[in-house]
Amino acid sequence: MTKMTAILKVEHVSKRFGGLRAVNDVSFSVQDGEMLFIVGPNGAGKTTLFNLITGFQQPDQGVIEFAGRPLAGTPPHRVARLGIGRTFQIVKPLRNLTVRENVMLGAFLHTRKVAEAADRAREVLEFLQMQAVSEQPANGLPLPTLKRLEIARALATRPKLILLDEVVAGLPTSEALALAALLQRLPEWGVTAVAGVEHVMQVVMKVAHRVVVLDHGALIAEGAPADVVRRPEVIEAYLGAKYKQVTG
Amino acid sequence: MTSRNRIPTILAVGGFGLCLLVPLVVHQDYELNVLFRIALFAALGLAWNLVGGYAGQLSLGNAAFFGIGAYSLPVFHRLGAPIVVALVLGMVTAVAAALVIGRVAFRLRGPYFALATIAFAEVLRLSAKNLDKITGGDVGIQVPALFASDPSRWFYWSAVALTAAALATTVLIVRSRFGYALQAVREDEDTTLACGIDAARTKLLAFLISAAFTALGGALYASLFFYIVPDQVLAIEISEKSAIVAMLGGAGTMVGPIVGAVLLETAQELFKNWFQEAHQLIYGVLLVVVVLFLPDGIVGSVTARWRKRSAR
Repeated sequence: MTKMTAILKVEHVSKRFGGLRAVNDVSFSVQDGEMLFIVGPNGAGKTTLFNLITGFQQPDQGVIEFAGRPLAGTPPHRVARLGIGRTFQIVKPLRNLTVRENVMLGAFLHTRKVAEAADRAREVLEFLQMQAVSEQPANGLPLPTLKRLEIARALATRPKLILLDEVVAGLPTSEALALAALLQRLPEWGVTAVAGVEHVMQVVMKVAHRVVVLDHGALIAEGAPADVVRRPEVIEAYLGAKYKQVTG
Repeated sequence: MTSRNRIPTILAVGGFGLCLLVPLVVHQDYELNVLFRIALFAALGLAWNLVGGYAGQLSLGNAAFFGIGAYSLPVFHRLGAPIVVALVLGMVTAVAAALVIGRVAFRLRGPYFALATIAFAEVLRLSAKNLDKITGGDVGIQVPALFASDPSRWFYWSAVALTAAALATTVLIVRSRFGYALQAVREDEDTTLACGIDAARTKLLAFLISAAFTALGGALYASLFFYIVPDQVLAIEISEKSAIVAMLGGAGTMVGPIVGAVLLETAQELFKNWFQEAHQLIYGVLLVVVVLFLPDGIVGSVTARWRKRSAR
């Protein structure tokens, strides 16, 4: 096996909001072909990290590189054009447009033609098993469908790296696992790496190749999923210090 | 394209064809001038609709472009430019102004954007009042006649042509990638960016197109009136009415601004004759009623209801 290359490198990145260190000297990388999941309690800085990578916010310190190219100062639409797709944790559908039209907007990144974008949208929607709602306006669809729509839209931009921000959170377990199975098939769509933020450990354990754990903005653990969840510092971050003795 | 998609096109072409024949029946200058105003505000509403309706950016400063178009005609003509060149220079100047205004105002969102556009238009109005050497100030300036003979008819035909051009432009835009991008900006700017679309550029481009059409409308209006002052062609009422006809008919719909202009101008004209000074009050009440009960405008509400029925 050849040596893997990092498609995304995050080095010593920090971001403060007033007195709050949302992200504190975080370093990690995503390898080509890898599914990396970032876990951590609420407010650990996971979404901020995604915003820094995608250019919606700029880091105070540190360097983020995508495919060997530093992203500093690159606005969000340029980041998307470089090949980083993202979903939003708090779903942001284009409410008065249909599901198909929502996905078409992602597809327009690679074509000017409306018909081609529509075809691409249809393919993506079929993959995500959303054909039934394709002509419905996004407005009024249930949250699980809107989460899938986030993935569909991001996938339609043909990203090399896709950032999934809590796409299975809030789904019933069976649906979460079904969606996780679809996520494992993303490489078929040219997605070479996936970075996910997720709470649902069942899904993370199933699909993640590697896990990094954030707590209060800092990276506290990194490794294979089965290994990371046993570490005392991770258990402490999730459950509090008193559980550390019992389990660790 | 399927035959189903052709029906609206045939209707539109037929409709505009009929509009062009109206002067064969209507001969009075007064009536033709009312029809001119309907067509003019339909065009202004369509121009506003690109930015205010499709892109969802509430511009209330389109009087700036209207006024620039109106003043460019006499000012450039006096400098020696032929009338057609003066018309084009008016559009170019308005587009340049839109570039400056847009660059600044689009940094703001929602009501702050609206306030900024009002401010720019007001600055232009006050400037025009004080730059007597160029604009004639409050005394006014004489505007060259666009049409030597039979002006009422020709102004009416020009306004109809402007409306047709604005509608055709709208249709082409809405069916293109650019049109989808505009609507995406209206729905959610972050999502638009995540799709790789430059939201700022998208809004600005719509603003420039809107300014060009509005400037042409201003030039037509100025030439019809023959003599213009700043409080007339740079008035905030022009901005408001451009927005109101579109919202009344249905912002973000293709024919909404035309429906709105027909209803509003007709109602205003009738009320003016029936109620004299009270017409403003009735006009105001009517607007409040529409905003409260038909927030999507007439065309918007009708299509929503029709869609619901056909979905059943």
